Amino acid sequence: MNKKIYIPVIALVLLVIVIQLIIHASDAAYYLTQLTMSAYYVLVVIGLCLLMGYAGQISLGQAGFFAIGGYISAVLTTYNLLPYSDSGIIKFFSKLRMVIERQDLYGNRLLSFSPWVGFFAAVAITVIIALLIGIPVLKLKGHYLAMATLGFGLIIYRIVLGTAIFGEADGVSDVPGFVLIPACALEVNGSISLRIQNYYIAWFIVILGMIISVNLIHSRVGRALRSIHGSEDAANAMGVNISKYKLYTFILSAVLAAIGGVFLTHYNGSIGPSEATSMKSIRYVAIVAVGGMANIWGTLIMGVLLNFLSLRGYFGTYDDAVFGAIFIIIMLFAPQGLLKISQLQKICTYFKSRNKGHERASP
Amino acid sequence: MKLTRIIILCTAIAVLLAVLLTIGGCKKKPAIERAPIKVGAILAVSGGASFLGAPEAKTLEMIAEEINAEGGINGHKIELIIKDSQGSSEKAISFAKQLIEEEGVLAIIGPSTSGESMSIKNICEDAKTILLSCAAAETIVNPVAKYVFKTPQKDSYAVISIFKTMKKLGISTIGVVVGNTGFGKGGKDQLEKYAPEYGIDIVISEVYDRAATDLTGVLTKIKAKDVQALVNWSIVPAQSIVAKNMKQIGMDIPLFQSHGFGNIKYVEAAGKAAEGIIFPCGRLLVADVLPDGHPQKAVLSKYKNDYETKYNEDASTFGGHAYDAFMILVEAVKKAGIEKENVRDAIENMSGFVGTGGIFNFSPGDHNGLDLDSFEILTVKEGKFVLY
Repeated sequence: MNKKIYIPVIALVLLVIVIQLIIHASDAAYYLTQLTMSAYYVLVVIGLCLLMGYAGQISLGQAGFFAIGGYISAVLTTYNLLPYSDSGIIKFFSKLRMVIERQDLYGNRLLSFSPWVGFFAAVAITVIIALLIGIPVLKLKGHYLAMATLGFGLIIYRIVLGTAIFGEADGVSDVPGFVLIPACALEVNGSISLRIQNYYIAWFIVILGMIISVNLIHSRVGRALRSIHGSEDAANAMGVNISKYKLYTFILSAVLAAIGGVFLTHYNGSIGPSEATSMKSIRYVAIVAVGGMANIWGTLIMGVLLNFLSLRGYFGTYDDAVFGAIFIIIMLFAPQGLLKISQLQKICTYFKSRNKGHERASP
Repeated sequence: MKLTRIIILCTAIAVLLAVLLTIGGCKKKPAIERAPIKVGAILAVSGGASFLGAPEAKTLEMIAEEINAEGGINGHKIELIIKDSQGSSEKAISFAKQLIEEEGVLAIIGPSTSGESMSIKNICEDAKTILLSCAAAETIVNPVAKYVFKTPQKDSYAVISIFKTMKKLGISTIGVVVGNTGFGKGGKDQLEKYAPEYGIDIVISEVYDRAATDLTGVLTKIKAKDVQALVNWSIVPAQSIVAKNMKQIGMDIPLFQSHGFGNIKYVEAAGKAAEGIIFPCGRLLVADVLPDGHPQKAVLSKYKNDYETKYNEDASTFGGHAYDAFMILVEAVKKAGIEKENVRDAIENMSGFVGTGGIFNFSPGDHNGLDLDSFEILTVKEGKFVLY
């Protein structure tokens, strides 16, 4: 087991803490809101990076999975079960603490599923959908795979837009906070008083995702994936079960997207159909491309940076155009991304040779 | 090769830093005489809902300029911060938090769409920041949130005024066609809800695709049902197609449209077939032909003229919603100063305020403030909108 692979993870942990301290010291705590939101989007692009960069399979439907996660959790936690509170099933759920009662801002009583139920339902449904979509679709290659996943994304968008329970064009609002551990009052919630806590929750989840991904990349599976990326036929000939690995990676990326969707929805308190548009999917692909395809750390950095700038409104009216332009420019001039691993490694070795013993891998 | 890559990398980083620094640097402006009033606006200036957000943003800029040129409100200049949400609720949320926490705005105008408004309703209520929404859905002000107001008329009023006109004309059986958009769906629900109350029977109701280019199939079905009138509810060019197709298949029953028909372009597209279409709308479109004594005449003519001279395009009722929101805020600040709570109270107790959408009478139970009278029934005569 190579322990070196965890150095960037530790660096990330330190960076997360340092950023919070700097922001705290400079009295600009409001930046944490957008950093927290970006973190959940980063989860999506990490998954997509594994799929695109390592397994070599493109998906233009990631926003669809994000929306599935967000919407399922939103609907389950906002749908009022009060009229059915006397029925046996609901009483049974109540006993299991799966249904909780709360009051909204306007004093109305609500009985709805707990966010944990929403979370597991969202993940389970995502796995099933990814499995059903993945088995036939991953047999396709290149343009055809891109088109099929794009089609999937469009279908999800249309379903969301046309279904009354998903709020149609208006989306679902009044989504409650997600109490993770009631005992220590850990809650995913967008209110100002919980801002620092939520920043750490979000980044804790991202770091967990990174640890899983890094382990995956440096394992037998990761090597198998890279061999698939290199040449499917060759990998197959060497005894790699390519369809199995492709499917697993597809499901993993879908689940990461769905988890991002669940938490961001609880953090924001609402979700709208704009999260399911194909433009969103393309944006995720653009971020992975600019991060360097098979470079999970580059993807992480670009994911935070671009989402942060976009959410702060720095791109203004040109928001979508910026992502489109980035995509084109990267494909034309730097198809391996701005943050290319080999370049970073060269810089690293340069510093190492100059300053032996000082080991600091910049992510 | 290596060198070019490094150069590209460095330039990219440098540009990014420069952008960040300029934007960061812009924020720290020296204070002028009296503290400026910060007003935030979250509007869908671009994207799918830009037909709402673009005129709204232009209107706000126009008024802010005008007020500042006159020296501000009681000496306070207005600092308008417009954020383009592109109609997406996650951006609206991020911007609302920015405007509230960083800019400390007195009030937020917008968002343009109902979904976005609903997603920031609770945020504004929590942070005790005034929200003046420019979106139509009734849920924005029902249940009433203490700090949330809205200026557009309720959809249900449009439906009720149509039914009232039908009663006058002795119409009791109707057909309904709607586009498959959120607006069409909402209209259909309201039509079905209020029809029994006015003794109107919806014999047939059909949904068509928003991008449809020919609707004779749908209309033939309705023709066979022999209804006395047809209602079409959409905001897409199909509004003109319905009128044209009706003439082509020889349907000569009255055609009612939603307030979405309030754009002269649809009349031009339908040509002769548009003659006689009946629809409810705010009075902005008929400002020129309103009788001189009408209380809204002066406000409407001024807004329409100002907007059309400045931007060289037709004023729309959507821009009017932003105009109303801004002017209500200005009026409240004039009365109550710049203390947030006082301004909120002033808005809630405002009555008889003449805006483009109608005459606003707010109360603790009604944060929309408009009544049925805010809609006027219009028709098309010789290619122009006139009072019915």
